[in-house]
Amino acid sequence: MKTMKTSIALAAFIIGGAAVAGDSPAPKNAYLYIGWPNDGEVIRNNNFRVWFGLRNMGIAPAGTEKPMTGHHHLIVDAPLPPMDEEIPADKNHLHFGKGQTETRITLPSGTHTLQLLLGDLDHVPHGPPLVSQKKTITVK
Amino acid sequence: MNKSIMVATMLAALIPGLAIAGDSPAPYNAKAYLIWPKNGATIKGGKFWARFGVRNMGIAPAGIEKKFTGHHHLVIDAELPPFDEEIPADRNHLHYGKGYSEGRIKLPPGKHTLQLVFADHDHIVHNPPVFSEKITIYVPAN
Repeated sequence: MKTMKTSIALAAFIIGGAAVAGDSPAPKNAYLYIGWPNDGEVIRNNNFRVWFGLRNMGIAPAGTEKPMTGHHHLIVDAPLPPMDEEIPADKNHLHFGKGQTETRITLPSGTHTLQLLLGDLDHVPHGPPLVSQKKTITVK
Repeated sequence: MNKSIMVATMLAALIPGLAIAGDSPAPYNAKAYLIWPKNGATIKGGKFWARFGVRNMGIAPAGIEKKFTGHHHLVIDAELPPFDEEIPADRNHLHYGKGYSEGRIKLPPGKHTLQLVFADHDHIVHNPPVFSEKITIYVPAN
């Protein structure tokens, strides 16, 4: 009985969680990651390249209506934005709506965090959301 | 007079060259490259994820017409196909028309070549063409 209650609570939690994300589906095995820099990387040039990795899913420019695609957003020095809204566009949330799979960014010396978040044609995260590991880097 | 003849000659020289590629423009600084594997890599077992890089351009799935976008094609153990035709689709020319930026590859033991070719919504290379260096990899016998 206790197990059943736990399962119901868990199911409710999972369903509740799913509802918080956008409506665009993503393949179950899709995987989003930052190809470079690595976590803990010390970078000696404050202008550097970031590689976006996406596995088992395709890229499409913003506004393209095509199931199982999306475009990259790089979150710099910020927590994840709400998963059921359009990802903000500012200096902490960089949009790659032209379908880019890499970029060059400039950051001041210090410690920074980088995280990728895939957005659909309307810049809303998928359901379930595709979020990369957050990487902490140091720019010297 | 001399100058205009020169310009005309230059244009004549350029135009046939341009006509060899497709009609979709690519930025002059666009570049396609294999992020992985690297040239000369030895891959035990022959199974790997090939990671596709494109710089100063974006990815769009096949059939989506959008300026300065295209999708990847991986040419395996073959020469570059003609630039004014659709890239063939066979086991030597893999299409990533869903907009993928990496592909799972399985190759038998031996020496193999890999080359990326970026192409437009109709699978025709851009103008100027955007393709990677051809790399050679080795799959050791078990």
